[in-house]
Amino acid sequence: MSRPYPGALTISHRVLRTLVVLNVVYGLGILGLLVASLIAPGWLFPALGVRLAGDSGAGLLGMRLIMVVGIASAPIAHVILTRLLAIVDTVRAGDPFVVENGVRLQTIAWSVLGLELLHLVVGAIAASSAVSEQLDLDWSFSITPWIAVLLLFVLARVFDHGARMRAELEGTV
Amino acid sequence: MSIIVKLDDQLHARRMTLTELSGKIDISLANLSILKTGKARAIRFSTLEAICAALACQPGDLLAFDPTIPPEEA
Repeated sequence: MSRPYPGALTISHRVLRTLVVLNVVYGLGILGLLVASLIAPGWLFPALGVRLAGDSGAGLLGMRLIMVVGIASAPIAHVILTRLLAIVDTVRAGDPFVVENGVRLQTIAWSVLGLELLHLVVGAIAASSAVSEQLDLDWSFSITPWIAVLLLFVLARVFDHGARMRAELEGTV
Repeated sequence: MSIIVKLDDQLHARRMTLTELSGKIDISLANLSILKTGKARAIRFSTLEAICAALACQPGDLLAFDPTIPPEEA
């Protein structure tokens, strides 16, 4: 049987490594924005094109909370990307059906769940009347990531079970 | 493990080496060596059948149970 897209794994490895770096830059960037919003809000928000109407206290708080959520999402995304990179590396090494990959998939599932919960937090901030008067946040709920979370948990179990079955078969003559 | 593989005794009785047995049946020398040294965790019926056919013996001639040896932990 021919291997489908033999270069795909190398490309995936490079893309994931790039995304790991970009995610760190993203996290530091949001952290920088948060610091700037605390030090010089009068400069930052007009520079970002944000016009806070009337009493801007709730709008500022909402923006800062969303920045905190953004900062919190960076380490979670880092966990997802590094675990995925480790899985891709085991495929490249020719032995992906190991118990460790089941654990990695489960970690990814929990992390995606964490990101979705943070997305809900942003939704709650966006929905709060005080903030919605000040900021126009384009937030919407989607069922697809939740199905992906469920799928990841199921896949992690399947992988774990498969890896254990293979380990059992290894001692069979 | 309390299951003992007596392949070595059967080979010795027939003046046959493991390499010769491997040549007679479609099982690698490495796998037969694992079986002979008692390191195998399981044996397929097809393997047992091939060895019994090659050595003209019964499964009971190849395997024995010794209750004094503690069972292997899963």
